[in-house]
Amino acid sequence: MATLRDIKQRIKGVKSTQQITKAMKMVAAAKLRRATEAILNARPYARKIQTLLSHLASDDDLISNPLFITRDVKKVAVVVVTADRGLCGAFNTNIIREATRYINEELQAQNISHSLFCLGKKGSDYFSKRNYNVVQKYPGIFSSLNYSIAQRLSDQLIAGFMNGEFDKVILIFNEFKSIIQQKIVVEQFLPIPIEGNTKKEIHAEANYIYEPDQKAIFEYLIPKHLKAQLWRVLLESNAAEFAARMTAMDNATTNAKELIRTLNLKYNKERQAAITKEILEIVSGANALKAS
Amino acid sequence: MSELSLEIISPAKQVFSGEIKSITVPGTKGRFQVLKNHAPIISTFEIGLIKVDLTDKTRYFATAGGTIEVLNNKVLILADSIESSDEIDLERAVKAKERAEKRLQEKSKDIDVERAQAALARALNRIRIKETYNG
Repeated sequence: MATLRDIKQRIKGVKSTQQITKAMKMVAAAKLRRATEAILNARPYARKIQTLLSHLASDDDLISNPLFITRDVKKVAVVVVTADRGLCGAFNTNIIREATRYINEELQAQNISHSLFCLGKKGSDYFSKRNYNVVQKYPGIFSSLNYSIAQRLSDQLIAGFMNGEFDKVILIFNEFKSIIQQKIVVEQFLPIPIEGNTKKEIHAEANYIYEPDQKAIFEYLIPKHLKAQLWRVLLESNAAEFAARMTAMDNATTNAKELIRTLNLKYNKERQAAITKEILEIVSGANALKAS
Repeated sequence: MSELSLEIISPAKQVFSGEIKSITVPGTKGRFQVLKNHAPIISTFEIGLIKVDLTDKTRYFATAGGTIEVLNNKVLILADSIESSDEIDLERAVKAKERAEKRLQEKSKDIDVERAQAALARALNRIRIKETYNG
């Protein structure tokens, strides 16, 4: 049986937890605003460069570029983007589960080997503790997210793809859809997926002038395109993380509130019971005195 | 009658969007100007100055290179980095310049000369544009 003091202690504990979750929610909300802004600003560039590339890429001779050619897949590089920190609901769990499923069911089941690139501390920790082939870890990148990380990683991926370390590069990350919704996306990074043929017509119609020439522009744009895509992925995940944390902390705060309410009720009931008991004792004591 | 519309986008943000009279970019094969009804063109451009003529004023941008596409009176600039002349942080540019110069002077083996030179060119470009057009 919990004494009054125990309950009081408990309420105090829950209250301080609630304060922390509340503060974390506020912090996440503030960071989310900045992260959303960043992703909304980065999306147009990533999209436009893709369109531009498809305007250029429609000629068949350019499809011969090695970065576009699908090879026999024996080795796949899997880039998993998680968060650096926990306390954001099922954010990390979901992405790790999807990555594990992908590696086990789609790669190992068909005897395809994998190389893991882990972005974010949580994924790095998880996969390096288990029996996975982690090639490179990038823990702690989200505390100071900048373009050079996207640059470094894409250079590394392109180089690995070109010299045959892997035949395909897959990105697994959380896409930021809205504050209450994150979507796990499995996306092919290399070879560069070719969009539908609808763009060909524009190309034929427009008859562009190219300066210096088509091939040079094309080759100039490809790495930029890949970097922009990776950068977008990092920002997506970053925004999604804050959104997930905000929701999780909001739930925690609401739960704490509910818990405090029930504890208070219990406390008051106990207190009332104690008072009643005391009065009863006094009254019966007085009665006993009167009777004698 | 459709006007010439311009969109300038960098990886960090959309820098400009709106109707313009003309735009001049430092193309890889030489500076060129785009007016209304320009033929479709895709070109890369280098570090330098982008001049945009609006109906009532002229705006200047410092860029570190990128691509321009013109199609059906729509101009799309995808720049690696671009800043309007009033946004340039002169102090930062001067510091970048000094850093690059120092690196080039030291000539140690572990520096990327090409990168340092590019950084220097970018910084000089920024300083020049800031001082010329935002006095």
